Amino acid sequence: MAMFTRRKFVKAAGACTALGALVSINACTANTPKRASGGGKGRVIVIGGGYGGAIAAKYVKLADADIDVTLIEKDKKYVSCPLSNEVLGGDRSIDSLTFGYDTLSDKRGINVVQDEIVAIDPDKHTVKGKSGKQYDYDKLIVSPGVDFRYEKIDGYNAEVAEKIPHAWKAGPQTVTLRKQLEAMKDGGVCYIAAPPNPFRCPPGPYERAAQIAHYFKMHKPKSKVIILDAKDKFSKQGLFMQGYKKFYGDMVEWVSGAGGGIIEAIDPNSRTLVGEVEEYKGDVVNLIPAQKAGKIAQVAGLADDSGWCPVNQKTFESKLHKDIHVIGDACIAGKMPKSGYAANSQGKVCAAAIVAALNGQEPGEPSYVNTCYSIISPEWGISVAAVYQLVDGKIVGVKGAGGLSPMNASAATRAIEAKFARSWFKNIAADMFT
Amino acid sequence: MKNRKARLLALTAAVIFSGSLTAEGVRSPSMLANTCAGCHGTMGASAGDLMPIIGGMEKEFLQMILLEYKSGERDSTIMGRIAKGYSESELKAIASFMADQEWVSSPVKTDSKMVAIGKKIHDDQCKTCHEDNGRVQEDEAPRLAGQWPEYTMHYLEWCHSKGKRCAPRKMGKRVMKLSKEELKAMAEFYASEK
Repeated sequence: MAMFTRRKFVKAAGACTALGALVSINACTANTPKRASGGGKGRVIVIGGGYGGAIAAKYVKLADADIDVTLIEKDKKYVSCPLSNEVLGGDRSIDSLTFGYDTLSDKRGINVVQDEIVAIDPDKHTVKGKSGKQYDYDKLIVSPGVDFRYEKIDGYNAEVAEKIPHAWKAGPQTVTLRKQLEAMKDGGVCYIAAPPNPFRCPPGPYERAAQIAHYFKMHKPKSKVIILDAKDKFSKQGLFMQGYKKFYGDMVEWVSGAGGGIIEAIDPNSRTLVGEVEEYKGDVVNLIPAQKAGKIAQVAGLADDSGWCPVNQKTFESKLHKDIHVIGDACIAGKMPKSGYAANSQGKVCAAAIVAALNGQEPGEPSYVNTCYSIISPEWGISVAAVYQLVDGKIVGVKGAGGLSPMNASAATRAIEAKFARSWFKNIAADMFT
Repeated sequence: MKNRKARLLALTAAVIFSGSLTAEGVRSPSMLANTCAGCHGTMGASAGDLMPIIGGMEKEFLQMILLEYKSGERDSTIMGRIAKGYSESELKAIASFMADQEWVSSPVKTDSKMVAIGKKIHDDQCKTCHEDNGRVQEDEAPRLAGQWPEYTMHYLEWCHSKGKRCAPRKMGKRVMKLSKEELKAMAEFYASEK
């Protein structure tokens, strides 16, 4: 495996760790940050190779090739969550969402290491992998995505989720859910339990309902999709309701939190969701639990009581640990949603701040953007966009900019937005992995 | 990899330049322009299909388009919403940054029959403004050679629907008389010119 050639390993782990057998650990880790090791300007480690992490790694390297960048990702391949609802709808393969890290390693000069980081030592500036290896950093970027609060739903846990998938991390569970939909008899009911705020991809559950309904309409027209929501309103609500009505009529139903949508427990054997008042027995059940910052952020003490990571919103440096930056879904980023584009944008702001710091400069004034497309039907796309700036230390939307696709847009415009959604994906994926 | 090197140098220069200049509230060209890459590709080198390549386009043209999006003068699904989030000088900085990048043509394969039809239309009606098969950029004529055909087609269809209201008027008048197949052939032709 090219990933673990000796040369790359030495670069990845740093000369110190590679010599760990010969030199005492103390001598190695006592080094202070901002040292210019190995002739470079410093070592940046990025944990997590997704929408935030892959971008941060690439843009640090693009801005300053003299900085050593190591991207540590637990999986060999990455599967994109954005556009994965099209796999459920049947119009897309999971392969089209799957990417490797070879180009980042071969073309961009990033040391890509496959390992799962299980501990961070903020004082010694080291991280430790499941493999037992230790990696030294001057600046650490943590982009771990989300973890699930299974404990909020009685009877739900990671093991049950293999059978009653949340499919809120794209990959095997996406495929499982698709297979369950394929196996379902016509006339069946698919429940989607949508999580409380804040969570990854606010329009995601509602696009999912539309994509599943799209599949049903084509192949199982007597079936229904019912969204049981923990909330009383949701992202792009007007546009989604308009699209549901237009394409799927009463095949899609939405139950608000106040209307009985809050789910407290699951009986996995009978596929029954237990609400505050009613019980819902489904033929297919997609239970998306409440969320929090990814596991390593919790373990390393980067999250606060909310479960998410407070950061300086100008640089994404953790408010809890110096020289550690948290980006993407895991961080608290003012008005920005937990979306792929937001993570991309944060990755670039964070990268610029780190490059500035390692060059002895102050961080520049940041600029952030978000665009989220949703595909309701193959030729019916909608979007929300926002441009952000930093005001009094907080990320806020620029007034008068951004907003939703208009409610009265023509069918031609909706068709173009659906195409833009797919082109957006090509570009943001290329931004990450090429 | 000469092209990439040039792009890297340009970015590094921009970052260093901005670093020494960062007054409170001023956002550097690279900081601003990198927000575009999620849709338009790294350094504006779009990966397809409907997103135009903007890296390497002429500065004045990009400025004009961005300012038209901001004012609402130019139709769009989303660019109007986004352009309004930047000041006029920021849009100019984005245009300059993108103009400094190397143009990277789309690697798309084209249909030789369609290309031939498109070339004939180009030679008859378009080449006075879009010189060197759409490679030359001046007088509000953007680069067409190497652009993604889906985008060129999207623009031509829009111009077709606008007719004489398509800017510039002389282009609208010609495009409105062409069939959808002919427009497609033109998009293929320009895509074939790398």
